[in-house]
Formats: sequence, structure tokens, C-alpha cells
Amino acid sequence: MAEALSTLQRTLKIAIIGNPNVGKSTIFNHLTGLSQKIGNYPGVTVDKKSGSMNYKGNQYEIIDLPGTYSLFPNSEDEIIAHRVLNHLGESEKPDYVLMVIDSTQLSRGLFLATQLIDLGLKLALVLNMSDLAGKQKIKIKTFDIFKSLGVPILTTDARSASGLEAIKDLIHDQNFGGKEEFISIEEIVPESILGVVKQRFSFNNSYQAYQMLRFASKDKTISKVDQNWLAEHIKSNNFSLEEAQLLETKKRYAKISKLVESAVQKEPTAIKSTSKLDSVFLHPVFGYLIFGLILLLIFQAIFAWASVPMDLIDGFFAQLSGWAAGSLPEGPLSSLIAEGLIPGIGGVVIFIPQIAMLFGFLAILEDTGYMSRVVFLMDRWMRPFGLHGKSIVPLVSGVACAIPGVMAARNIGNWKEKIITILVTPLMSCSARLPVYIILIGLTVPDDTIFGIINLQALTLLCLYLLGILGVLVTAFALKQILKSDEKSFLMVELPSFKTPRWKDVVFTMYNKSRTFVVEAGKVILAISIILWVLASYGPSSRMDSIRQEGEMRLASATEAEAAQIQAETSSKLIENSYIGIMGRAIEPVIKPLGYDWKIGIALITSFAAREVFVSTIATIYSIEGDVEDDLTIREKLAQQTYPDTGEKVYTRATAFSLMVFYVFAMQCMSTLAVVYRETKGWKWPIIQTVYMTSLAYLLALVTYQIFS
Amino acid sequence: MPITADQLKPQTSGVIEEVTNSPLKINLMELGFLPGKTITLSYVAPFNGPLAFLLEGTLLALRKSEAALIQIQPA
Repeated sequence: MAEALSTLQRTLKIAIIGNPNVGKSTIFNHLTGLSQKIGNYPGVTVDKKSGSMNYKGNQYEIIDLPGTYSLFPNSEDEIIAHRVLNHLGESEKPDYVLMVIDSTQLSRGLFLATQLIDLGLKLALVLNMSDLAGKQKIKIKTFDIFKSLGVPILTTDARSASGLEAIKDLIHDQNFGGKEEFISIEEIVPESILGVVKQRFSFNNSYQAYQMLRFASKDKTISKVDQNWLAEHIKSNNFSLEEAQLLETKKRYAKISKLVESAVQKEPTAIKSTSKLDSVFLHPVFGYLIFGLILLLIFQAIFAWASVPMDLIDGFFAQLSGWAAGSLPEGPLSSLIAEGLIPGIGGVVIFIPQIAMLFGFLAILEDTGYMSRVVFLMDRWMRPFGLHGKSIVPLVSGVACAIPGVMAARNIGNWKEKIITILVTPLMSCSARLPVYIILIGLTVPDDTIFGIINLQALTLLCLYLLGILGVLVTAFALKQILKSDEKSFLMVELPSFKTPRWKDVVFTMYNKSRTFVVEAGKVILAISIILWVLASYGPSSRMDSIRQEGEMRLASATEAEAAQIQAETSSKLIENSYIGIMGRAIEPVIKPLGYDWKIGIALITSFAAREVFVSTIATIYSIEGDVEDDLTIREKLAQQTYPDTGEKVYTRATAFSLMVFYVFAMQCMSTLAVVYRETKGWKWPIIQTVYMTSLAYLLALVTYQIFS
Repeated sequence: MPITADQLKPQTSGVIEEVTNSPLKINLMELGFLPGKTITLSYVAPFNGPLAFLLEGTLLALRKSEAALIQIQPA
């Protein structure tokens, strides 16, 4: 009964909108708590954030729109706002709009607010950051604004959570409003042009018709027929959208300035230069030094601190898998669960600590306002390579893991710079490459020091990281020449005043990003692990059966001491004859010039799912008994490997170096590809990325092998 | 004599006269770079990097080429 009733009563939809950095998400988080959902809008990479608010027995749906300065079609963010507010595409029209304004930046906020009024929306204004306004001695006569706009106004300070409960009451009382119009659009665009648009789309508001003209060519959810009609309509009337926009901007700002002049009291001396911190953080020398130190701290956290929970997770899944193997009845299904499914899920979950930590750090840097300072400092150094100042965030994240890095690239507005950033980020040596590097370096580079202090092994490791960075810069530069785009690159960022981070929001971000990763990438990783397991466990049954029989026969007559040896040999033969073993054999001619045998070939195939699988694969292939995680035993086994025909060692320095170079460049991470697919909304870029990275890896590994052998 | 905002010396101010016509004009105007407003060049990134202007209490970073679109009367 209760369910039937609640579906009868329609849930009210309230959209939250505002300029960037006004505390919109804090208000959204406060209203919706943990009930948030992240979805997709068709055709764009902007996430759809919504959540439900329960208050006084009623339920409301709250939609968080991306931060924008205006309803001009500048980027995907504005397209989404336009789409939702005008009830286009799949989105449902919100009943009311909550507009959040930074009290210290009233005119800029009112610019967007008055556009919403002209769209005929019913809204309420939230004047946030009232404490900051107080500090700057800004007094706002809210009643004057209310009189002029007809919009209810609340004053809040989201950081200290003051005034936020009043928003719930306002929503509950449906206390929203708005004058007919703030500026008259008919004075800018003749009714003769707007009238037919209104008719065609059955709008009753002229500003809505004008918006339709403006977004016509940008919004893919507008049908082709309508788009062509709108384009033709603009052309046949000799109408210049740009001029209309400029005229609108001037008129709107002129009227707002008058309103602000009468409604705001400011002490002229109040505006002082931004915090003294900036003279350090933006300093041409200290600024970069501080940035370097912060990076160092983040790497330390990601490598050292994250390894503790990661080991725990690793151990837990190993135990779970062992328990499942031991207690489930023997059979293919049990072994799929124990050897395919559980390690597969474990392979996803193990990245959570790094991803959560990295996003925690990024959220703190973002929330304090530091990140836009880094963009300011680094833009100059990124541009020659076709990157944007904002590309620094994905690249830095890439050292931990390319997944959050690729996800962070969505903040870059320019299409070309965003695609280049996404394509090169996986070349940064991520933490999953580290186990591979360490085992191969340990095998072939002596633990000596040169010049008394520099450890050769550490030096080799450093070179591998530098090689990755060099790869990023060279490839980005090449892509800059290849990719074509008419879009002009620009840098216009606000450097918001420094604030202490809101810890609750930081935790929220960590939770949300980890969840997105587990759900989105997890599906793919899981599927691949199952496929790999099947390929490695099964082979042509005639071959597999005879190997098993032979093994059993030998076991029957063996002593206990020999038994383990025989079992190991049998499982190694089984892998060799499994489908994946056959694949390894098949690619051997291709990888021979790089110095690899078919066993390494198998490891290359399996590590296509994830690089760190290399270690566990060679561990399985070389049938190491006991603890798979024990590097020493693996290293010893590797050192003993010889070619059966010549008796030469497999893991020479040339082979190991070539293998390491291959791992620096090759695209071997299903999760990253899954995320690139998600961020670029198609298979084109993930495929291009795989092809270019793997070709680069092959060529450079070939060169390396030829040099060292 | 009017100059453009990228020609300001650090820690000096000017009053905006006009924003030069360009596809970026709207973006600059919606950020608040409007005729009549006073801007101060507060910070400069090294080697011809971005410029940070103080505009009504907010710090806004622009590349040199974008700042060159803002015509000002130095104070």
C-alpha cells in the first residue's frame, strides 16, 4: 500500500545550478546525503548527478547541474544545463531551480540567475559564503534584490553548514518565484525570428526560443531535421548569434550593475589583494618547489601507505580463493570460482586503496583551491606539447594509476587537449608496472653502487620512470601535429581564495570515485579474468587428457619427494598445451626478435588484462611450488631458465631490458581501456591507444634487445 | 594612452575600456572583464606563462594572448 501511494504522488524535481566554486556540491551533499546516483547524459561525458531528499515525509529529487557562468553554449556543461532546463532529450524538466551564488561575486551570479528568470523558470537564490562577504565588509540588502527579481533569497554559509536547513524548508514550502522577464529578448532579436521557433517547438517563452537557436548546432539530442531547420532559419534571416550574445551580455550586465549598486554596500578599502599565501604558492621559484614537494608526498602515500591495505586485500582474496578451492565440491564450476572469479574480483578491489587515496589527495588539492594554482604554474610547460595546464592532474595521477588520471582529464574543456591527455596518460609508469620492473631489475642489474652513493638498481628504476615521461612528451607532441581541431585553446581559470578542505566532501569524493571504478571497470576486468582462466585451464582435450594420465601414472610409482616435482611438471605441461599456451606458441615467431620465448609470450598475453599479472603468470608457468608472492623463488627460477635447444639463458640482460621497455610503453590494462571507452564514449580511441602504444612498445623493445644483445 | 592588459606591469592597475572582438570575448565578459571595471596584474608565471589578474576581489588567470584582448586605460 505504502508503495502504491508514493508512486501516485509525483516526486518534485529541483535542479541546483551555479557558477564554479560557489559551494554548490556541499549544498547538494547536505541535501541528499548518501543517496546520490551518478549516471550519464546521452552523448556527453558530463556525469549526471542526482539524489533524493526526504524531508517531513516527502521525497524530492535533487539534480546537481555542472557549474557554469552562463547559458551560452561554451562547453558540454552548458549544453547539459540547457538541455535539462528546457526539457530536451531524455531529461525531465525540473519543477524548480535552486541557484547558488557566491555572496562576494554577486553580479557574476546574477548574470546566470537572470538568464534563468528569462527562461521562465521558478527559482530561489542561495547567497552562499556569507561569512566571507562579512569579512570583506560586503552588505547585501536581500530585500532589494527580491523586489527587483521576484525571487526568494536565502543566506547561507555552506562550509560551516549554517542556513542549510532553511533550504530544506524552502523546498518543502515550494517557495520559488521569478518575474516575467529581466531583460527583454525581443529588443535584441526581432520577434519575427523568434515567433516561428516558438511555434515549431510549441514554446510560449521567447527567451527559450532564442536559446534553441543558440544551442541548435551544439546539442546532439536535437534531431537532425530540427537542427537543419534552425540553421537555415538563422541563415535566411541574416541573424548573427555572436552579436546577439554580446548585446545580451552588455544589457544584462548594465541592468545588474544598477541593481548591485543599490543593493550592495561595500567598504571601498575592503578588497585587498588575495591571501599572502599566493605570493609563495605562485612564486616563480618557490611555487614550483612546493608543487614538487606535494607530489613527493602524494607518491609516498600511494606507494608506501597504500601498500598496507593492498597487501591485506591481496591476502584476503588469496585466502578466500584457497578456502573456496578447499571447501567447494571439486568440479569446473568450483575451480572457476576459486581460480577465475575470486582472483578476478580481487584484481579489481586491490586498486581501491590507491584510487581512493589519490582521489582523496586530488579532492583536498581541489577543495583548498591549490589545484588551479598548479594549472597556472604548469600551463606554460604543457602547451608546447599540445597539452593544457589542466593536463598536469591526469599525468600526475598516472604515476599511481592511469584510471583516475583518465577520469580527471574530463575537466579539460578543449577536445584536442583532452584526447591527447587521455591518450598519453597511460604512458606514465603506473604502480602496476612496479612489480614487473622490480623482479626484472633484481634479476639482471647488479646491486652495486657507482660514484659511491648511486645504487645501480635504483638508477635503472628511475630511468624507466623517466623513459615513460619522455614517452608522454614525445607522443603528445606527435599527436599535436596529427590531430586536427578548429577549437581554440584557452586558459581562463578562477584562482579561488584558499580554504580549509571540507573533510566530509573529501570522503564523499573518495567513496564515489572508488564506487564508479569498481562498478564500471570491474565488469570488464571480471569478464577478462574469466576468459583468461578458461583459456589457461582448457585445451584440446586429446592433448590435455594424455598429459593428465601420464602425470597420474608417474605419480603412482613416485616417492613422496618426487611427487611435488612431478605435479609441478604436469601443471606446467598443461599450461603449455592449454589454449593460451597454444597462443603463446603461435606468437613466438613475432616476439622472438625481442628476445622472448613462448612462456614470456603467454605472460604478455595474460598481462594484457593487467600488467601485474605478469608476475603471477610466470609464477604459474614456471610452476613454482608454494608461495607465489615470494619474489626470491620466482627470481631464482627465472635465473635458471634456459633454452632447451642451445642451453643459453632465457633471462639475459638484453631480454630483461627489452621486456622492461616493452612494459613501459605497452597498453596492457583492460581497466584503463574500459575507462577510456567510458570517457570518450566509443571504441575508437581505446583501439587507437592500444595500437599506438603496443606498436611503440614492440619497436622500442626490439631496438633495446638489438643494442644489448 | 590605452594599452592591453598583458602590457601591465606587475602590481599595477588599469580600467577596462573595451574587450576586442574575438570568439573569446563572451567568455571574458561573462567572467566579469567588463568595460569600466578595474583590474590589477597580481602574479605572473615565469617564461611568458599565464597572468593572474585581480578583478573585484577575485583572482583570474589568463594566458598572455587572452589578456591582450582586454584594452585598458592604465591608472
